[in-house]
Amino acid sequence: MSTTLSEDLTATDVGDAPAPTAHQAGSRARVWRAFLIRRFTGLVISLVMLVLMTFFIVQLIPGDPAEAIAGPDASPTTVEAVRDELGLDDPMLVQLWDYVTGVFTGDFGESFRYGVPALDIVITAAPYTITIAFAAVAIVLVGGVSLGIAVAIATRGDRNRWLGSLFTTVTSILTSIPPYILATFLVVIFALWLAWFPPAYTLAYGYWQSAILPIAALSIGSIGGMARIVRREAAVVEEMDYMRSARGWRLPAMVRYAKHLLPNVLTTSLTLAGIILTALLGSALIVETVFAWPGIGSAVIRAIAEDKDYPVIRAAVFVIGAISLITTLIIDIVLGAIDPRTLGEDRD
Amino acid sequence: MTEITAHAPAPVAARRRFRWNGTLVTGLAMFAAVILVAIIAPFFYADQAAELTGESSLGSVPGHPLGTDTLGRDMLARTLVATRTTVLMALAATALAAAIGVGFGIAVWLAPRRLRNLGLRLIEFFISYPGLLLAIIVAAILGQGAINAVIAVAAASIAGFARLTANLASGIAARQYVSTARLLGVPAHRIALRHVLPNMAEPMLIITAQAFAGALVEISGLSFVGLGTQAPYFDYGTLLADSLSKIMTNPILLVGPALAIVIVSMSALFIGDGLAAAANPRSNAKQSQLTLREGETSALSPADDDALLVADGVTVTHIESGRELVSDVSFTIRRGEIVGIVGESGSGKSLTASVASRLLADGLSASVRRLTLGDTDLTGKVPPAELASRIGLVYQDPGTALNPALTLGSQLSDVLRTRMGMNRREARRALLAAFKDVLMPDPEGRLRQNPHELSGGMNQRAMIASAMSVKPELLIADEPTTALDVTVQREVLTLINRLNTERGTAVLFISHDLGVVRRLCDRVLVMQRGQIVEQIDDMDNLTVERAAHPYTRQLLAATPSVRLEEDKA
Repeated sequence: MSTTLSEDLTATDVGDAPAPTAHQAGSRARVWRAFLIRRFTGLVISLVMLVLMTFFIVQLIPGDPAEAIAGPDASPTTVEAVRDELGLDDPMLVQLWDYVTGVFTGDFGESFRYGVPALDIVITAAPYTITIAFAAVAIVLVGGVSLGIAVAIATRGDRNRWLGSLFTTVTSILTSIPPYILATFLVVIFALWLAWFPPAYTLAYGYWQSAILPIAALSIGSIGGMARIVRREAAVVEEMDYMRSARGWRLPAMVRYAKHLLPNVLTTSLTLAGIILTALLGSALIVETVFAWPGIGSAVIRAIAEDKDYPVIRAAVFVIGAISLITTLIIDIVLGAIDPRTLGEDRD
Repeated sequence: MTEITAHAPAPVAARRRFRWNGTLVTGLAMFAAVILVAIIAPFFYADQAAELTGESSLGSVPGHPLGTDTLGRDMLARTLVATRTTVLMALAATALAAAIGVGFGIAVWLAPRRLRNLGLRLIEFFISYPGLLLAIIVAAILGQGAINAVIAVAAASIAGFARLTANLASGIAARQYVSTARLLGVPAHRIALRHVLPNMAEPMLIITAQAFAGALVEISGLSFVGLGTQAPYFDYGTLLADSLSKIMTNPILLVGPALAIVIVSMSALFIGDGLAAAANPRSNAKQSQLTLREGETSALSPADDDALLVADGVTVTHIESGRELVSDVSFTIRRGEIVGIVGESGSGKSLTASVASRLLADGLSASVRRLTLGDTDLTGKVPPAELASRIGLVYQDPGTALNPALTLGSQLSDVLRTRMGMNRREARRALLAAFKDVLMPDPEGRLRQNPHELSGGMNQRAMIASAMSVKPELLIADEPTTALDVTVQREVLTLINRLNTERGTAVLFISHDLGVVRRLCDRVLVMQRGQIVEQIDDMDNLTVERAAHPYTRQLLAATPSVRLEEDKA
C-alpha cells in the first residue's frame, strides 16, 4: 500500500527528476550523486523545519508562556527567571535567532529541573531509546520478511488454505494490540509469573536482560503487520514476468525465492521499515514508561507532565526527530544499493 | 495472463463488485457492540463505577470479576463506563483530523504547482515524524487534559489524511472524465465536489477506520502516561495507568482496560482490513495441472510421429469458470523448423506455448492426448535439468521478463550453474560466448549491468543469448518483437533466423503479426478463439485469395506486404 501511495505522490510532481532511463550505461555514479545531493538537501530542509518546530513549542503556549511554565503557584521571581532563561522578553526574531544559534552549538538551554544543559540529559537517555527501537526494527525486518515470504510460498496457488486463514487471523490480532498494552501483558507473564526478566529497568539485572521485554513489546505487533505486507508483496512479485522467467529456466525453488524474489520484496519491506521505525520511535516513548526504561521517552514525558522542563522537551523532540530523519535517509541509501531504480524517484 | 483476462471477462468484472467477508462482518459486529456499550453503560453502571464499596484492592471475586481498585470501585463497571469517554474522544480526534486533512489535501491539489509542491513536502515531513511524538509535542504546548489530548492526537493524524487526499485527488484528476470536465470549463471546486470526492470514498473509509484505531490507541496512550484525561474523569488510558501502579499486587486490574483498548482498536482495524479486502479480493488461483487424455484418436498423421515436438489435442481450461480457453489444438515442430502461431490477443496462442513449455500459470488446467519432446513424454515427471537444457524461452517484454534487482550476468548464469552443472567461471564464460553470438556490443560490461540500464533491444538480445546458452533443441519465442521498435524488431528477427540456420534449433514463434511471422516461418498456424482455424504450409505463395479461412484473409489484408529479401533468401 505504501508503495502505491508514494507512487501516487511522485506522480503529482510531474517533470521533476526523470527516472533513469535506458541508454545511460555508465551513468550510475551520476545517478547516485544526484540522488545524494537531492536527499541531503531534503534532510537539511527537514532539519530546519525541525528546529522551527521545536522553537515554537514554547512560543505557541496559550497565554503567557512563562506563567504557564512556572505553574499557578509560582512566585513572580520564578516566573521572571523562566522568562529570562527562555528569553521571552526579546522580540520574536531575536528569540528565534538566539535559539537557532544556540541549537547550532548544541545549546538548548539549561534544564529547569536539573540545572545542567538540556541536551546532556537527552544525549544520556538517547542510547537507551536507540537500543530498543533499532533492535525492535531489526527483529521486525528479519522476522516479518522471513515469516511473510514463508507463508506466501506455502500458500501460493491456493495451497494450504488453512495456513493462510490462520496467518491472517493471528497477524490481525497481533497488530491490533498496542505496544504499551502488550508491554503490560509481558510484564505480568514474564516478570511476575515466570520471573524470567525484571518488570522494570534495574541494574540488578544485565542491560540486555532488562531490554528484552521492551524490545518484545515494541516488535511483536509490527512483525505481524510486516509479515502481512511482505506476504501480499511476495504474492505480487511471484506474478511478475521475471519470476516466470525464473520458472522458465527451471531454477530450483531456493534460488528462485532467495535470489530472484527476495531482493524485490526487500524494496517494499525496507520502505515500510522506515515507516515502522518512525511509528516504533513513537511507541517507544510510551513503552519506556511501562518499564521505567531511562530513555528519551521517559525523559520527555516527565519533562512535560511533571517538570514543565521546556529546554529538555525541545532538545528531546529535536533529537528524536533527527534520529528518525537520518534513519529514513539511511534506509533510502540501502534501498538504492539494493535496487538502483529507486534512486531516480523523487522520494523526499 | 492477458489471455486469461481476455477470455474470462466474467471473473474480472466480479472482482470490482463489493464482496462481504468474515473480517468486515466481525469488525462491524464488534464495533456495533462497542457503540452500544458506549451509549448505555453510563446509564446503568455510572453509580457502580463511582461507588466506594469499602472492598478495596480485590482480585477477581464473585461480584467483581475484574477486581476493585484501591478505593474499592468495581473495575468492570469502570471499564464499561469509560467506553463512552474513550470512544467519543477517539471519534472526535478522527473527525477533526479527517476534516482538516481532507481540506488541506484538496487545497494542496487545487493550488498552483509551486505551492502544491511545498504543501506536499510539508505533508511528507509530518508523515515521516512519529505520530505519537507529534501528539506529545502538541500536548506539551497545550498542557494536559482530555480536550488537549484530542487536539494533539488529531494534529498527529492530519498528515495521513492530507497525503491520501492529495494522492487520490491527483490520481483521479488524471482520469479521462476529469480532464474532459476541465476542458469543458467546469470550475475546479465543482470538479472536486462532483468528480473527485465521490471517487475517494472507499480508500477514505479504510483510512478513517485505521485512523480511528490509531486515535484510540494514542489517546489512551497519552492518558496512560498522564498527558490526557485528568481525574476525576477517566478513560481507558487512565484506568490502565491506575492498574499499572498496582501491577505487582493486583494484576487482574489490568485486564479490563487493556482488553477494552484491544477490542475497540481491533474492531476498527478489522473494519479497515475487511473494507480493503472487499475492494480488492485476493485472487486465489488453483494450482495448475497437466493431464493426459488416453484412448482418443490422434488428430495428427503418423508421418508426424518423429517430429521434435508433438503436441496433440492441447486443451486449456480456466479452473474457476470452467471456460475452455484452448480447444483441441494439435501441431508438430520438426528439427530445424520454424513454426509460427499467429492470432489476435486472447486467441490462446501463448497458452498453447505455455503448455508445450510446461509453464502453465496457476488457475488453469490443461489436458493433451500426447505431448512429447523427442523421446520424452512431457506429461510425466521430467527432470528440471532436462527441461532447462532442451527448451529455451524468450518472452514478449524484455523489460519485465528480466529481474530488475539483479545484474544480467547474475540472473542469466543461474540456469547454467544450477541446471547445466557449470561452476561460476564456466557459466560466465558460456554466457559471454552467448552474448558474443548475439552480437552484443561490450558483452563483458553488459554482464555487470542491471536490465534498466539497457535498451529493450539489448535486453531482448540478452534474453535470446540466455535461451541459446543452454544449446536447446527447441526455442519458444512468445511475441519476442512486440514490445520493440520496428528497427529493433528486424534485428531480433534476423538474429533468431540466423541462430536457426546456424545451429538447427527448432523455433516455435508466436506473434499477432502475420507480416512478421510470414517472413520468418516455414509453417504457420492461425489461431482464433482457442482453435487452429488454418494451417499454412506454403508461405512463399501466400496471398489473400489463397487463404482458406476468412480470419486468415482478414489478417492478411490487415498486414502490409513485407519484403523477404534479407533473411529468408
